[in-house]
Parts: sequence; C-alpha cells; structure tokens
Amino acid sequence: MTDKSFNPFEMAQTQFDSIADKLDLDEGTRELLRYNQREYHVSIPVRMDDGTVKVFRGFRVQHNDSRGPAKGGIRFHPMETINTVRALAMWMTWKCAVVDIPLGGAKGGVICDPHNLSAREQEGICRGWIRQLSRDLGPLNDVPAPDVMTTPQHMLWMLDEFETIRGSKLPGFITGKPVGMGGSMGRTEATGYGVIFNVREALKELKIPPADTTASIQGFGNVAQYAIELYNQIWGKVVCVSCWDQKDQISYSFKKLDGIDLVELKGITDRFGGIDKKKAEKSGYEILPGDAWIEQEVDILIPAALENQITGENVGRISDKVKIIAEGANGPTTPDADKEISSRKIFMIPDLLANAGGVTCSYFEQVQCNMNYFWEKDEVLGKLDTKITNAFNAVNGLAKSKKLYMRDAAYVIAVGRVVEACRERGWV
Amino acid sequence: MARNKYSPHQGSLVPFDRDFFSSAHRFTYIGKGELGGKAHGLAEIKGVIESGIIDRFSPDISVTIPTLTVITTEYFDLFMKQNDLYDIAYSGQSDDLIAHAFQNAHMPVQIVGDLRALVQQVHTPLAVRSSSMLEDAMFEPFASVYGTKMIPNNQPDVDSRFRKLVEAVKYVYASTFFKAAGNYMKATHHSTLDEKMAVIIQEVVGSRWGERFYPQVSGVVRSYNFYPFGNASPEDGVVDLALGLGRMIVDEGVAWSYSPSFPKACPPFNSVSDMLKNTQTRFWAVNMQAPEAYNPIDEIEYMEKFDLAAAEYDGSLAFIASTFDSQDGRISAGIGVKGPRVIDFAPILKSRMIPLNELLETLLKTSEDRLGTRVEIEFAVRLDRKECSPAEFGFLQIRPMVVAEAEVDLSHDDLRADNVLAASETVLGNGVLDTVKDIVFVDPERFDVSRSREIAEELEKFNETLVGSNRPYLLIGFGRWGTSDPSCGIPVAFDQISGAKVIIESSLPNLTFQLSQGSHFFHNVTSFKIFYFSLHHRGEYDVNWEWLKKQKVVSATEHLKHVELASALTAKVDGRNGRGVIYYEKEE
Repeated sequence: MTDKSFNPFEMAQTQFDSIADKLDLDEGTRELLRYNQREYHVSIPVRMDDGTVKVFRGFRVQHNDSRGPAKGGIRFHPMETINTVRALAMWMTWKCAVVDIPLGGAKGGVICDPHNLSAREQEGICRGWIRQLSRDLGPLNDVPAPDVMTTPQHMLWMLDEFETIRGSKLPGFITGKPVGMGGSMGRTEATGYGVIFNVREALKELKIPPADTTASIQGFGNVAQYAIELYNQIWGKVVCVSCWDQKDQISYSFKKLDGIDLVELKGITDRFGGIDKKKAEKSGYEILPGDAWIEQEVDILIPAALENQITGENVGRISDKVKIIAEGANGPTTPDADKEISSRKIFMIPDLLANAGGVTCSYFEQVQCNMNYFWEKDEVLGKLDTKITNAFNAVNGLAKSKKLYMRDAAYVIAVGRVVEACRERGWV
Repeated sequence: MARNKYSPHQGSLVPFDRDFFSSAHRFTYIGKGELGGKAHGLAEIKGVIESGIIDRFSPDISVTIPTLTVITTEYFDLFMKQNDLYDIAYSGQSDDLIAHAFQNAHMPVQIVGDLRALVQQVHTPLAVRSSSMLEDAMFEPFASVYGTKMIPNNQPDVDSRFRKLVEAVKYVYASTFFKAAGNYMKATHHSTLDEKMAVIIQEVVGSRWGERFYPQVSGVVRSYNFYPFGNASPEDGVVDLALGLGRMIVDEGVAWSYSPSFPKACPPFNSVSDMLKNTQTRFWAVNMQAPEAYNPIDEIEYMEKFDLAAAEYDGSLAFIASTFDSQDGRISAGIGVKGPRVIDFAPILKSRMIPLNELLETLLKTSEDRLGTRVEIEFAVRLDRKECSPAEFGFLQIRPMVVAEAEVDLSHDDLRADNVLAASETVLGNGVLDTVKDIVFVDPERFDVSRSREIAEELEKFNETLVGSNRPYLLIGFGRWGTSDPSCGIPVAFDQISGAKVIIESSLPNLTFQLSQGSHFFHNVTSFKIFYFSLHHRGEYDVNWEWLKKQKVVSATEHLKHVELASALTAKVDGRNGRGVIYYEKEE
C-alpha cells in the first residue's frame, strides 16, 4: 500500500490549487472544491467464522455532486486510510467531468484484508457497510462500484442488502455487477481498453505507429491485462509487467524482450494477480525486482497498480526512450515526479483521463439498469471508444493550444466543468 | 494476369481519421490487413481520376470515387477468431443460421469506435460492400457472389445508425460462407478456407426523393461484348444503363444496352411494342423509411423495388426517359407528352445533355491501360434535378473482365469435324457448355409455317416439363424465333422456351426471311447467357439431321420431337468472331 508519510489527499489538493490558480477561482469556490461535501465514517460489526465479533472501519466520501449523483468505487484494503479515500473521491469528480458524464465524485473503503476473510465474512462486511450507509446512497444519490479487492460478487451482496432495505428492485444502485445480473457487457474490459484508446490517440499525435512501440506495465490485474490485450491487438509489444506476490509480500517484475505472452502469463497467475515465478522463469521470463518495470527501455510506461508509484526518488530511472506515460492507476505519480516528467517532455496521459474507461462504462451500466434495457457489447465498446477519444482530443487540443502539460489541461477542463455546474446551481 | 495482395500501406491511401466527409482524404482504410479485390480496384482507379485525364468533362460531369473507408481483412480474422465462428462457418448450415450466428457475435473492440465515429457524422445512406481477398489474389470477377447491404443511415439517433452499420458489416462477413459463395468456390476450384473479407463502407450516390434514395442512372460498362449487335464489334464493349440502384442490371439483367461506339443505336427490339414490353418498368431504391420487418440477415432489408410511376412522381425521369406517342406510333425523347415511358436515356445518349458516353469511353480506355486487362466498371450518376448538369459520376467498382479465360478458339476445321450436330458463323454468346442432354426440335418434315402458333403451344408443354425436371435443352426450329408475325417463324414468348440453353434458328427454302439472330429475345439471351445459333439453309453449315433422326425420341407431338441423349452435347462459341459449333459424343 502507500507510504505512510505520503498523504494522497494533500497531493490531490495541491493539484487542485494549481488548477484553481490557472482558472483564477475565487476563494469560495476553492474552499468548496478543496474539500469533500460529505464524509461518512462507519463501524461495521461482523460475526466471524470463529464466533467472535470483529468491528471493521469503513468510509464513504462524496466529494462533489453538482454534475449528478456521486460515483465511485469501494475498496477493501488492510492499509486503507481516509486520506486515500478523500483523494480518490476528489479525483472521481474530475474524472467524471473530464469525460463529460453527468456524475459527481465519491469513493469508499473498508479497512480489511479479503485474503484473510472467508466469503461469509466478506459478505458480512458488504451488507454491514450498506446497512450503515443506505440512507445516503442510491441510484439518484451515490452509486458505488468495485475497486481495489472488491468484486462483482461483493457488489451483488451490497445490491441485495440495499434492495432489501429499500423494499424495491434498484439495479442502478450499484455498478460492476455480473453480466446477466444487471451488469454491462464490456465493463470488465473497459478500464484497460480505455487506457489503450488513450495510448492509441497519443501515438497518433506523436505520429508513431503502434507496431513500432514497446511498453512496460506495473501491475497484472484486470486493468493491466485488458490493456495488454488491446495493446497487443494494435500490434504493440509489452516487454515487462510487474505484480504483487501475495506469498512473499513483495512485488516482482517479469521481463521478456520478445514480448510477454498474455495468455501464458494469465495461465500461471493466482487469484490475487500474482504470477508464479518458477513457471515464468521456465518459460523464459527474467525475474526482476518489483520496481524494475519503471527503468525499462520502452516507449510507453503504464503504471496500472496503485497510487504513489512514480516519485521524486525513482523518476530519474525512467529511460530516455520513454515517450508516453499512461496512468492506468489512480494517482500513481507524485507532483515532484510530475514536474520532472513534464520537463522531460514525456507525453503524460493523466489518470483521470487514462483510466476513465471504467467509470464511463459504469455510467453506461447505470443507464442500462435504470431503463432495464441492455446493449450489445459492440454498442457499449463503440460508445466507450468515442467517449474516451473525444475526451482525449479535448484535453490534447487544450494542452496544445494553451501550451499546458496534459495533466493540467485535463484538470482545467474537468475543474472548469464542475465549477460551471456549481455556479449554475447557485452554490458559489 | 496474376498480381500480388494489395496492402493499403503500400499505396497512397491514408488511415481513417474518424472524419468521413470532412477529411481531406475520401478514400481511407481501417486496420493493417489487406484491402481485398474491389477496394484494390478502386485504389487503382483513384490514380486515373487524379491524373486529370477526365478533367475535361468538368463542369458537366464531376467524376469521383464516392467517399469510402475500407475495413481491412485484419478485422475479419479477429472477428472470426474472437467469436469462434469458424465451426459454424464451415458447418454447411443454412445461410440464415450462419448469418444469425454472425449477428450474435461481437465486433473487435479496435473497430467499434471508428464505426461509431463514422455514423455520428454521416446521416446519408451507406453501401456496405464485400471486398474479398480471393477476388484480389485470383484477379477474377466475383460479381454478386458476396453480400452487399444498403442502409439508409438516417435514423435520428446515433445508436440506431451504429447498430444498423454493425449488422450490415456482420452480414457481409457472414456472406463469405453462404451457399452461393461455396458453390462459386467449388466451380472455380478454390476453397473458402483461403478466403478473407475486407468490407467497404461507402456513401451511396444518388438523391433523396421522399421515402426513396437512388441515382437517376446506374450502369455497368464492359470493354468486351459477347453479344454484339448491329454494326458493333465485341471489342467496342457494351454499356448497360438503368434507373435506380445497379441491382436492376447486375441481378435482374434489366437495362438499356448499347455499344459505346454507337450510343444512338437502339438495342435490337423487334418493334416499338417489343421495346415497350422490354423497357425497365421498376427500379431499386434505398428505402428511407422503417423497413417492413426487422431482418438484419436479409440483404435487401432496406432496398425496395418501385414502379416507374414512383420515379415519375419524384420527377426523376426527365433526363432519362422517352415517351411513346400512340398517335403516330413513335417514341420521342423526354417526358413532355403523356404516354407510356421508355427508359432509353435518350436525352443523355441522343440529345447529349451530358457527355456521359464520351466519359465512359475515356474511363474504359484509361482503366484498361491502367489495369492491363479488359475491365467491367460499375457506376452511378446523380443528375442535377433541374438542368441535368452538373452531374456527379460515382465510380463504384472496377473488375477485371476475364475474357482470356473464357476464350474459345474455333477454326473452320473445328466446324467441320465429323461429330458436329450444328455449326454456324453467326452465333451469339461465348464459352463452352457441356450440360445439355436434351434436344427439342421442330420436325423438318412436318413443319408448316401456317401452323406456327400451334407449334408454340406444343413447345410450351415441353418447356414446362424440362424446366420442372431441371434439364436444360437445345431447341431447334425454323424461321424467326419469337416473331410477332406467325408467317415469319414461330411466335413464342421467352417464357415458353425459358429452359433452352442453346437455340438454333434455321431458314428453309420456303422460309427465307432474314433470321432474327436472337433479336426478339436479346435481353434474355444476354442475361441468361444463351448460345444463339443462326443457320441459313443455303449456308456452309447445317444441322446434322441425319444423325438427329437416328436418336431415340422419348416423346413427340404433331410437330415436335424430344430426344434424350446418353451423353451431353458440347457447345462451343467463340464470341470474338461469332463462330460456334455443337458436338455430339462419338460412339465408341
């Protein structure tokens, strides 16, 4: 998880302050958007399999809902902090705004480690979290979704609890449900594909054929895997991936200069996304330290694991060959690293744009659930591609015309839209 | 002529940039695969158009390749693989089942964004056409083998337009494995296993007239004519023109045919009433309204045939029709007076309101030079509604015309071999036919021209039986087949002899009128590729009556006999010089 000395919320606020200066926002607007609108801290008692009762701490933060119902995932992590959740809620607001979907930003979390919990105990946490928060959530208020270490199964338990409390069927309450149970086709692939839609457009901008590029990716979870799949399909070659090893409690990088074989690696990956080192070695992969992914001689870096991964300390290890960084994870780059990346003229696709495919498809799921009519996969992914591509073009266009760093351009567009909504509502 | 696979990356084409009409490039591609045959042909012709050789026709006619983008074969491969479609594709199931399976499959993710972006900005009809690899590799014409789907693309919401476009692309993919394609592959000794499909998405040339969208003129021009008439020679080529979408010409064989060297010459109709009977009376258009039924696996889901009256109501006949004046029994150009309309394109071909024929001649010549072979070009023309010009000429397809492979060399000696049933130097058609085992002939000893009407009736019954049992036959008779004057020959309508694949008309000493040379059935003869032999009784060649009399007669009427042979006849026609011969199998 994150370094304890690192406060993601401060980082998010610093980013916002810089944009507020660029937009010359008044003090009231700054005060409103620098903090969250609402923040809930809950205690969730769960009877464990051994008969004891354990109380888990949970959160829900709604940063801003001026553009529509708040939207954001719920994370299960033993080292979850309120500041992480606060930062992620704020980033959700900007992310929904940058791709121009009518939603606000929220995030939730529970301090727990699902690896050490039975399914029944996890169900208890899910239902307990909903019981505590049901009055403040809902399809028209705040719509949760899966996030770190939460799954479609978790979402179904939460939905079931919510519908039981409300006494009606409300499939639009939560997204990330399994297909056939109110889930949307294409949702699983959406975030990873969205990253590559952005990469594809960035390569067009730089006039580099995808087939001539290589990439190194941090992470081997859902986002990374689908990003690799689509990147391979547009003829790019991934030469390094890293992942967390649950047994060793550290991460490793797996390198193959001929290009990693996605199917092969998926075949030797455990349910936590950890790749079997021995089998990988046998298949010709070089096993390197977990942070080696960042120093590979590639054209594209995709941090698709956790926040705070490209820092002032390791940014210097990024190869001169790197031309694009696409942030598949939320907040993987610290502000000091960002300055260095900007000065090196690396094309940055910031998190709020790069990984917006997930929330965009969640929005599609919500729309489909609310009208109880489900689209074909072609339609979902077609809409997703054009939505993301349009967002990329808007951000890139502004960056070029105003000579802004891509992250700043994305924030200027996103914050500008939220400020506009707040103003039109008469809040500021 | 062999040629290599054509990849867009080798040419001057550019990738689709999600701007269909507004882009600087009107001919783009999506993906890294091959363009396929049709798109390859158009890419070649792009150079012809850009060479400036046709600029002289401007401003009367502007020549363009209608805006298009090609989904290269890369996505066909991905689509098949990602959806595990090869099993059903090769299962031998019905076309409908295969088409349904393809409709239920998902398009590759890389392309759905491009397709959606395309329909977001385009609201006019689109043609979704096949462009297959074998067509390219074999350099052979695959006309009408694979599906082409027209979609109106005018639904107000993007989602609907996107769905219809995706359905159309999937339909074209599925058509790769339809029965017709399989049969064609077998006939040409190829396998669908080798086949890959690119898809062309192209704007439809035409105008909207209420619920219909169509071009006033569509046409096919070929550089070689196996059925020349009048003073025209095979090398002069032939032009077929029709009102509405080209389906009328390509699939139904209804068109105004003429030689580019003699644009003012009428096709050889027997009489004005014959012309009125054979003129185009219906036309195809894109139906811009909701279709009668949702049916994405129907190629003509959004295509509909309308009566000529609809075109007159639309006001689209002014520059393409003439009118029969019953007062003086003549046909006059235009529709200024009331009367039955004839779609003869007289205002264009005779009054030269636009230099269409000159343009066609130029394009034909230039395209032949460019491709190094005889060609077949499909096009559509949108005329100015009020003035006729400026007209927009849309170059839709160019295909090689494989004359060489169809070439049959016949010498005089071949016509005098000892197993010749009949030979002539006045034959329409080209090629070899070896499937005919039945002969229906008018008994020369019983023929009486005064009873030619009865002969026609007798013949109709033979025809019904043979067509019913799917047995093509050779028909031999005297005088002009299909004449309206019973004293000149046998006054049959084509449907009374529709099963005949080879027809012989012969003169007799007491029946020496000019032979028809197929003119009464000219359109049927050309459409159904019938071999039509004309023999003069005093000529060098005749029917081998002696041999015919020795064959076993399986049924007979007062004037006709039906002979069934153990071995098929072999009919050969050299279309270049009109020489033809029919051989019977020699007995061992």
